[in-house]
Amino acid sequence: MVECGRHLNVELLTLSEIIAVSGEAGDFTVTVKKSPRYIDMDKCIACGICTEKCPKKVADEYNAGISKRKAAYIKYGQTVPLKYAIDPKNCIYLTKGKCQACQKFCPTGAINFDDKEEIVKINVGSVILSPGFTPFDPSGLDFYGYGKYPDVITSLEYERLLSASGPCMGHVVRPSDGKEPKKIAWIQCVGSRNTNRTENGFCSSVCCMYAMKQTRITIEHAAGNDQDLSIFYIDIRSHGKEFERYYNETINKGVKFIRARPHTINPGKNNIGVQMEYLTEDGQKIKEDFDMVVLSIGLGAPKDAGDLSSKFGFNLNNYRFAKTTCFEPVKSSQPGVLVTGTFRSSKAIPRSVTEASAAAAEAAIMLAESKNSLTKNKVYPTEIDVSDQEPRIGVFVCSCGINISNVVNVAEVVEYAKTLPYVVFTENNLFTCSTDTQVLISKKIHENRLNRIVVAACSPRTHEPLFQDTLREAGLNGFLFEMANIRNHNSWVHQSEPEKATIKAKDQVRMAVAKVAQNYALTRLKVDVVQKAMVVGGGLSGMTAALAFGNQGYETVLIEKGDKLGGNALELLQTYKGEDIGEHINSIIENVENHEQITVLKNTTIKSCSGSVGNFTSEIVINGSNSGDSEVKKIAYGVGVIATGGKASSTTEYLFGTDDRVMTPLKFDKYLKNDHKSLQDADTVVFIQCVGSREPQRPYCSRLCCTHSVKSAIMLKEINPDLNVYILNRDIRTYGEREDLYKQARDAGVIFIRYEPNKKPNVYKKDNDIAVEIYDPILMRNLRIFTDYLVLATGVEPNDAKDLMDIFKFGVNEDGFLNEAHPKLRPVDMPVDGLFVAGLCNYPKPIEESVTQALACVSRAGVILAKQSMELDAIKSYVTEKCDGCAVCIDVCPYMALTLEEYQLNGSGRVVKRIKTDPALCKGCGLCQSACPKEGIMIHGFTLSQLKAQVDAALESVI
Amino acid sequence: MADEIIELGRKHKAKSDSKVEEKEKGIFNTLLSKFNKHQQPEEPQKAQKTPKKSIFKDKVMELLPQGGNLNACLSCGACSSGCPASGLADMDPRKFLRMAALGLDDEILKTEWAWMCTMCQRCIYVCPMKIDIPQLIFQVRKSWPREDRPKGIRGSCDMALKHETCSAMGISEEDWRFVVQDIAAEVRETQPGFEDLVAPLDKKGAHFFLNQNSREPATEPDEMVPLWKILHTVGADWTYATKGWAAENYCMFLADDECWEKVVRIKAKAVDDLQCKVWLNTE
Repeated sequence: MVECGRHLNVELLTLSEIIAVSGEAGDFTVTVKKSPRYIDMDKCIACGICTEKCPKKVADEYNAGISKRKAAYIKYGQTVPLKYAIDPKNCIYLTKGKCQACQKFCPTGAINFDDKEEIVKINVGSVILSPGFTPFDPSGLDFYGYGKYPDVITSLEYERLLSASGPCMGHVVRPSDGKEPKKIAWIQCVGSRNTNRTENGFCSSVCCMYAMKQTRITIEHAAGNDQDLSIFYIDIRSHGKEFERYYNETINKGVKFIRARPHTINPGKNNIGVQMEYLTEDGQKIKEDFDMVVLSIGLGAPKDAGDLSSKFGFNLNNYRFAKTTCFEPVKSSQPGVLVTGTFRSSKAIPRSVTEASAAAAEAAIMLAESKNSLTKNKVYPTEIDVSDQEPRIGVFVCSCGINISNVVNVAEVVEYAKTLPYVVFTENNLFTCSTDTQVLISKKIHENRLNRIVVAACSPRTHEPLFQDTLREAGLNGFLFEMANIRNHNSWVHQSEPEKATIKAKDQVRMAVAKVAQNYALTRLKVDVVQKAMVVGGGLSGMTAALAFGNQGYETVLIEKGDKLGGNALELLQTYKGEDIGEHINSIIENVENHEQITVLKNTTIKSCSGSVGNFTSEIVINGSNSGDSEVKKIAYGVGVIATGGKASSTTEYLFGTDDRVMTPLKFDKYLKNDHKSLQDADTVVFIQCVGSREPQRPYCSRLCCTHSVKSAIMLKEINPDLNVYILNRDIRTYGEREDLYKQARDAGVIFIRYEPNKKPNVYKKDNDIAVEIYDPILMRNLRIFTDYLVLATGVEPNDAKDLMDIFKFGVNEDGFLNEAHPKLRPVDMPVDGLFVAGLCNYPKPIEESVTQALACVSRAGVILAKQSMELDAIKSYVTEKCDGCAVCIDVCPYMALTLEEYQLNGSGRVVKRIKTDPALCKGCGLCQSACPKEGIMIHGFTLSQLKAQVDAALESVI
Repeated sequence: MADEIIELGRKHKAKSDSKVEEKEKGIFNTLLSKFNKHQQPEEPQKAQKTPKKSIFKDKVMELLPQGGNLNACLSCGACSSGCPASGLADMDPRKFLRMAALGLDDEILKTEWAWMCTMCQRCIYVCPMKIDIPQLIFQVRKSWPREDRPKGIRGSCDMALKHETCSAMGISEEDWRFVVQDIAAEVRETQPGFEDLVAPLDKKGAHFFLNQNSREPATEPDEMVPLWKILHTVGADWTYATKGWAAENYCMFLADDECWEKVVRIKAKAVDDLQCKVWLNTE
């Protein structure tokens, strides 16, 4: 958000709404109404005095109405832009003509009660709509007593109670009596998967995981260890990457998962707490008291969905979400208008962020012609040379809401920092990363002539670039900076030992101060960006990425190991929305093969990769399997997309491989496509879900099998309505609008039978018939089903990527799926800069999501390709005078960045040998430095003296 | 029975087909003949294949709007958590519906649990899929031979048919008139402020036609008084009738459509005869 607020090429219009649209894709005129803020944004310094003096209190919508805000306010501490506003509906002066307290006290005269509404017209080529969602209001479900009993609250309200920046600073108290609740129940699917009293037949996709997260944070924030937390659910839907592991961990933390649904919530004594009655799966009726109940409310379409759709002229689906196809997932039915996030369907952060990038890619394709015609570039002030100055260090200690200050005594750390050598300024901030703090840091640098900065906060992985930018804006070199990670490495892991944590935080700050005193200005090497993309993998994801690059005019090389394009999609029938996959994939293959910007190389593998972001070079082997005509070629490219795909798993369970009637879903799809006759003659088909999935040897959920089986079942019922179809499952995970298919299947008479891993189905042959025995938990009896076909949902595994891992130095998770840099913030970036990941190699996902991810990769890669040259990391090796050319380092360098060269010593005629380092290849790993016996090669930013200063500081408290 | 394995799918039907049909004939009675016309004749070339037979639930679905959503169950259990009859006879609404879905017609058509349901509709009220379990139960009740249905309910229905009062307690028109007039007189004499209270009978053209559960006049006549006082105090224009005044209708609980209708028609006629605008049923 801060980055968005600071970006030169992003103009923010707040308090604004679209009132009319005209024109067409490529040339829209959007009329925007800017409501008055009544505070001059140029004059407001966000001091907060207006809020302090404002006498009018109103319910704070940001805290879900739990707390109060003023009529002069900011929405929350990290608001972007950080400018106050006056709420005209509640301001006493604007409603009654009296007061003006804010105006009296505002130190900069920013209050302007004469501010008027403004109409502006904006000319744009494309529009991206992401208006978000409307949380479900459970007041209509009278049996839950929401609004009537104080201790029945929504999950959104609970989220605010849990939040460090919320009304109770993260220490949860229940509304009725302000006491900390110990026994809390979550009820899932409130306002989701419900067509009685609500219209929301869809699954909101996010509630299972957020409920789990809330239980986990509750346990972390709670004072004692006596939390008693229960989640009442229908199906647990932990179908995302690493979600199943999180689910298992949550069970291990003692959270109770109860597959039951209370009928009514009754108030406790004196309307404090609640009582609920529920029937467990084994038929026991339990009456239980809880301190508090959280209703896990669903995410519906935004209130203004209808308004937006009529203004822009695009279609909504039956739930009023923006309607799109699986093949063009972010394009609305109106050309040039793109839709993302929860406006398209309820979803969590990773997919929303991915979709946002995908929409940016579609916009970039559409506007490729006018690319760079309006962009602005940032200009920094000339850097102050501090090399001759004595260090003057400023230390900023972050509370991170209460993330840090809850455990670490930050005030003590600040006081301590003052005592350290060269420290001339210290300060504590609620959020050091917020926009206002950046302004503050800059100000303090100037006021105190600071030339070194330490931020004691979180991880440099996420925040170092932001602070470095702040330094540059203040005229300092970005490397005169250090972070002490007192959150991830401290408060998060030492919650139960606050005193020791504070001591450790001081140690961390002392180390950072010692090091920063040794820091010196570094310059980044610039390399020319090769305006070319390489895509690895010719499946749907890879092809989509290649087309998106090509359509923006970037030369693209698509490398496919096999002898044809198309991948798994060639074997699939329909998307969940019913679109024909075969037809679509064939047209994509044709487009890719005929695209003038795309070079398709089949039967090709990658042998090596050198260089770095913006400037990679790979050796590729064409026709490698055919050693006779194999050809090795070198290609240069600026960015790479890895889309090596996945494959259907196999199994040895349930008679698979011993009987042709037992098959995988892909094989059964062929029957569905081609052999209606035998299906019409058949009597029974049984599906078994989670075959080999969600078990210790393959703990993840393959995400797409439930929908696939449900869809197949519907097709079966269409072919032959009399067919008996049974789907044996552990949870049905038809997330989002896929839930409609689940409903459709049930309505068609498909029977769903749930099983637990300790009561798996028993499949055997009896008189050459296939029998499936299964325990039905509702009847608590065994069923024996004789079936004509048995379909085993064996799930998805990633294709083996070991070779590429070695070549590109990227990582995979425990299940072998390629890792993204950050699951939420950077969902398609790989940890290696310049590489991006899409499709099944990252995690099992349906077509719609693979396409989205592929587009998102192109958008992210486009940020690099849009530049003519690129700055490299400054953390690189350099050779010192002490190098005598022994070349030990060459052997250890994994990036082939070092060479040995001979040269004449100062014209003396003596030839000496010395190491030369190629900064474009060097990744700054430091192996050379540690191998060198004589300080002949060092790493900038991590020199031996810098490290020694840090180590000495660390040992100071011990020795 | 409950410990036996339940056989489903292909082979099961081929083997036990004739057996099921026999049972159905015994149990479904009139229902079967009504639905028989929907069955497809067996095609000779598919002799190998089991003919698809509608199970009881499917037949009920044909009767109800949207099939009563009987297939839509998510098995969440909200119905059973709130059902006052859960656990009785080792049954609950979810289990009952599940048995119907799996075609265990034998068991659902026989279980006495069908008569333990109070028809309160708490299940459908909270059901995310609005599944009409009460209607399923009703149809099960209907499938029972009348003489096998619970004596208490059947007796009350039969009693209501004896008099035009429709009273399940068998209160005659004369007894009813006497009790109402007697109690009203007593209130006027003994309760200050209600000296002119009346409990009108057969007042033509009154706005409200008030029904009365016959348990009160039969056993606790004083309990009728509070409502009279309210109506008196607010000045409501109301009347009791001598015919069709009893509020209860056990024939509905008996799932005896014909008698249920008969009772309702008597009551409706009484309302019409007195030309009342609003029919207030206090049940």
